[in-house]
Amino acid sequence: MSVTLSPRRLRQELRGILLTLGLVALVTVAIFTFVWYVGLTRGTIAYLVPVLIAAIRWGLIAALFASACGVAASAYFFFPPLYSFQIRDPQEVINLLLYIIVAVTVSQLASRLKRELEHSRRREIDLRDLYAFSRRIAVAFDVHEIQAAIEDHLTTVIQREVLLFASARDAAIAAEKRAGAALPRDVYARIAAIDASGAESQTDPAAANVTVSNGDVWLVRAVSPKNREFGVVAINLGKPSESSIDDMHVRVDAVLADATATLERLGIAQAINEARMRAETEQLREALIGSVSHELRTPLASILGAATVLSTAPALAAEPKLQALALDVRSEAERLNNDIQNLIDATRISSDTIKPRMEWADPADILDTALERCRKRLARHKVTLNLPQDLPLVHVDAVLVKQALVQVFDNAAKYSPPGSTITVAARARDGRMILNVSDEGAGLTEAELPRIWDRFARGGRTAMETSGSGLGLWIARSFIDANGGKMNAISDGPGRGMTMSIELPVPQAAIHTMENDQDE
Amino acid sequence: MSEPAPIVLIVDDEIQIRRFLRTGLELNGFAVHEAGTGAEAIRAATLRPVDIVIVDLGLPDMDGSDVVERIRSWSTVPIIVLSVRSAEAQKVRLLEMGADDYVVKPFGIAELLARVRVALRRQSRAASGEPSVTVGPLTIDLASRTVILNGQRLTLTPKEYRLLQVLAQHAGNVVTHQHLLKEVWGSVHMQDTHYLRIFVRKLRQKIEPTPDSPKILVTELGVGYRLAHNSEAENGATAPATVG
Repeated sequence: MSVTLSPRRLRQELRGILLTLGLVALVTVAIFTFVWYVGLTRGTIAYLVPVLIAAIRWGLIAALFASACGVAASAYFFFPPLYSFQIRDPQEVINLLLYIIVAVTVSQLASRLKRELEHSRRREIDLRDLYAFSRRIAVAFDVHEIQAAIEDHLTTVIQREVLLFASARDAAIAAEKRAGAALPRDVYARIAAIDASGAESQTDPAAANVTVSNGDVWLVRAVSPKNREFGVVAINLGKPSESSIDDMHVRVDAVLADATATLERLGIAQAINEARMRAETEQLREALIGSVSHELRTPLASILGAATVLSTAPALAAEPKLQALALDVRSEAERLNNDIQNLIDATRISSDTIKPRMEWADPADILDTALERCRKRLARHKVTLNLPQDLPLVHVDAVLVKQALVQVFDNAAKYSPPGSTITVAARARDGRMILNVSDEGAGLTEAELPRIWDRFARGGRTAMETSGSGLGLWIARSFIDANGGKMNAISDGPGRGMTMSIELPVPQAAIHTMENDQDE
Repeated sequence: MSEPAPIVLIVDDEIQIRRFLRTGLELNGFAVHEAGTGAEAIRAATLRPVDIVIVDLGLPDMDGSDVVERIRSWSTVPIIVLSVRSAEAQKVRLLEMGADDYVVKPFGIAELLARVRVALRRQSRAASGEPSVTVGPLTIDLASRTVILNGQRLTLTPKEYRLLQVLAQHAGNVVTHQHLLKEVWGSVHMQDTHYLRIFVRKLRQKIEPTPDSPKILVTELGVGYRLAHNSEAENGATAPATVG
């Protein structure tokens, strides 16, 4: 048992000794009283009381001191020669031995008891923390929550500044945000090294200590040597002594072992991995679609342009078959271009890069432009336009709304038979502009109705007869959403046509403007 | 043809695009010069007389808008820009920089030819001081400040006439909202596009046979308005196949 005499410890011992001295004095007075009044010859056994109390309360040194004082006091006051410290009676020696044995035994017992008590108290706190921690982990939905939980748990248990990073790259970004200051360069280098080293390589605990320029010691290690996904932890230990570093290591090891076990039990490693892979796949997919569609569009511009030149070339005028081929190339290229444009739009939507350019627009203009764009596709349908003269202006990105309408018209043309009527109506009501596009086509069943908004949705009953990527209505709805509007589909049932309804907000200012448009 | 063929300068880094443009333009009686980069284009435009420039916005060495700006700094030659869809802000910027019109990629040769002819006609009209513009049933006489629809003289307010006048001066080419607002209402009202919307609606009631589907005063969503090219307005269905 190593006894280091820190000032605090010294004060405690001193206090014990002083109290012991007081106790011995008290017992001496008590014995005197008994001897005087009761006529007890010798009550020196009572000196065991201070020894016991000191052993239990103040430890070995105080107890030994109590023994010595007891023997000294009894020699002085009760054993002949009285009022002298001379020890003649063997009884005194036996007393001294007895006291010492009691002092040592009891103080050992007491200190062990105290240690056990302390240990169990600490254990209880640890368990409570761990329980709170695992509960938090269990309800955590993403990697960040889990990491924050580990971080907080470590901070509670170790009482030091703890930073946890998913990766070295994360460390560079997050350290500044969370610690308020940049991470020391050596610590960062260590994190990077751990992050770069394979998942299987064990982290050498001795090398985990990093002393930085201001003298602080940082403990840097992987949360789990087996699972790199759990991240790297950096703890600022301050300026500790050698022994407390070891102590800290033991505690960190214990906490991280517990945390890792919990994480593994909950399958967090797999979840983190999957989430990361999902995000990466999604990113890759979007990037791929984006770049492929741009790459495709460039040659398509040449194909389409060249086809239009060929189809109008005088040399082909006398060759109707060849001219028809050129026209085929042209119309197929146009179709391909539409599909590619849809893919590009879809990428813009999912990557959230749509920035509506809001401006005042006449809804009649938007409808007309959209119809103009679809004229070829609507050539075999009857289109009736039903617009009141006093439609208010809307404040939207007219181009996005037009593109949404083009998708709606395209859809109506696709799913309703040639010769049927497509009715376009607009009206303003309760601060909303409502644009309805109704067809007399295939309609929708109850079950189909909500599914039409899905990405890559295709009409199940009609998929064989129609072409398209199934992106159209999804794009249309996203564009309308971006303008603060709403899009709904209403159908009376299969075979009974459907109505696409687009709602756009009409700002109060628009109505105001209508009343004030005086010329001059 | 007795007149010399108009010379077109094509600026595009894609050789396939240049090839189909050259073939299409030459088949329709134009002489063609080509440039693959912006620097080459500027050199070509200074060295040789050019009647019209077609510039792609994505050039390897400089932005297409720089080419427009540089050429415009010394020349009034018509410039048509090849742009992509959903870049309305960019189109507006280019038009304000002095480009005469734009065509959205991918496009058919007929659409480009129509734009080229409109731009050339505007240039020659400006040079000869031709006083009237006719679009379908509508004639705007810029000299006498009168507007005639189907032989009937229309009564327009001064602002309505001014709007029509600005559009007629650019007949066939798109005019941006900002330009119209500045010319008709003054530079203070350049952001008040709702004035313009209401105004155009009223004007269409007066000049369009079918105001709900205008054929004379055509909307270019997100950019501006265009007074239709004569042939477009006469047989509404000949608008070139626009895709994209």
